Amino acid sequence: MANLLWLQGGACSGNTMSFLNAEEPSAVDLVTDFGINILWHPSLGVELGDNMKALMESCVSGETDLDIFVFEGSVVNAPNGTGEWNRFAGKPMKEWVRLLSDKAQFVVALGDCATYGGIPAMAPNPSESEGMQFLKRERGGFLGPDFVAKSGLPVINIPGCPAHPDWVTQILVAVASGRAGDLTLDEFQRPKTFFSSFTQTGCTRNMHFAYKVSATEFGQRKGCLFYDLGCRGPMTHSPCNRILWNRQSSKTRAGMPCLGCTEPEFPFFDLEPGTLFKTQTVMGVPKDLPTGVDKKGYIKLTGAAKAASPEWAEEDMFVV
Amino acid sequence: MGAILGKNSSAVLKEIKTLLGDGLKTQTEPFPETAVEFSKILDELRALEPDDLEGRLVIGGFTDHPYGEDEMRCQECIYYLVHRKWCDLPELSLPVEPNWWCRLWKI
Repeated sequence: MANLLWLQGGACSGNTMSFLNAEEPSAVDLVTDFGINILWHPSLGVELGDNMKALMESCVSGETDLDIFVFEGSVVNAPNGTGEWNRFAGKPMKEWVRLLSDKAQFVVALGDCATYGGIPAMAPNPSESEGMQFLKRERGGFLGPDFVAKSGLPVINIPGCPAHPDWVTQILVAVASGRAGDLTLDEFQRPKTFFSSFTQTGCTRNMHFAYKVSATEFGQRKGCLFYDLGCRGPMTHSPCNRILWNRQSSKTRAGMPCLGCTEPEFPFFDLEPGTLFKTQTVMGVPKDLPTGVDKKGYIKLTGAAKAASPEWAEEDMFVV
Repeated sequence: MGAILGKNSSAVLKEIKTLLGDGLKTQTEPFPETAVEFSKILDELRALEPDDLEGRLVIGGFTDHPYGEDEMRCQECIYYLVHRKWCDLPELSLPVEPNWWCRLWKI
């Protein structure tokens, strides 16, 4: 039996919604089949007020073992570093985060806000938000760069806006069933099993990417979304086209550009007119090229791909 | 744009060739260095009457030859459909030749 406690900071509950839609395994499976005891969760917990506070104090005192502490949303430090803008059970939430993280065997940061700060931490960051162990790309965050949970692992980051439900439940199962040692994390502390490949891996528009045929308007069934509509699939680490959403689809399959929400810099756009859903270019060349490709190679590849492009690549191929 | 699209594509292509061949002065500069500047040109194009072919060529900065030191041309542009010889940028939507260029060029 592994005790799990889940709290929310500067959050929209999106990751909770995602978690509750998990299928393989489902949230119920975690309890019935995988021995996870959910001590409390914002949408599932039954304790309120003093009872909830007593439960957390019991974890902090060590009376109740805390195996997995999941935190969703940013750590709010405002105003002036006090954290008073986000109070919970009698004290700033960030104090609970510190106390519980120090007691937990495993600490899981869930969603882009908890991992890297996400939308709340965008400049000018009025809530003084940060992630559990990162602020954007910078390691440190609220718990500091040297933090490790009792298990010896740093914060396990599961980013996404929201994270795919199966990424969450599968990691929780791995931890709860004693297979945490199998988890390897990348430089941003994401489990490599999910975050080594790109969003583009498995995208149905890959042939259009290869032949440099662009989608130029939403809803087009032909064309790659990278060239003009701001898709970040070629430089975003996620399995969105391998582990499909709702077992059906993904953003790019549905014609929606990837926003890069599993990367620390998300959101990438400065929200100036003409920048959202538009590929950012410098003198006609994309500012962010596919990972590992340099400008010279990209230009050469484009010339060759255009010259070799077959006629079918210009047609809508998914005709109803 | 619909009015131009309604015409025979080869007739429009011929008309463009004539206009450019006769020395139509187009706005090849400034080249949009950023997506925001690019977007402003698109706004200008959207404000044109749908059948204003000349306006589209002028604002787009069309040339009937490759442009600049790097010999940029439609052939390598991501909006160019090689087999249809067509510029697929919705604000332009014109038949074009592979060796032409305009300042909305993107690779």
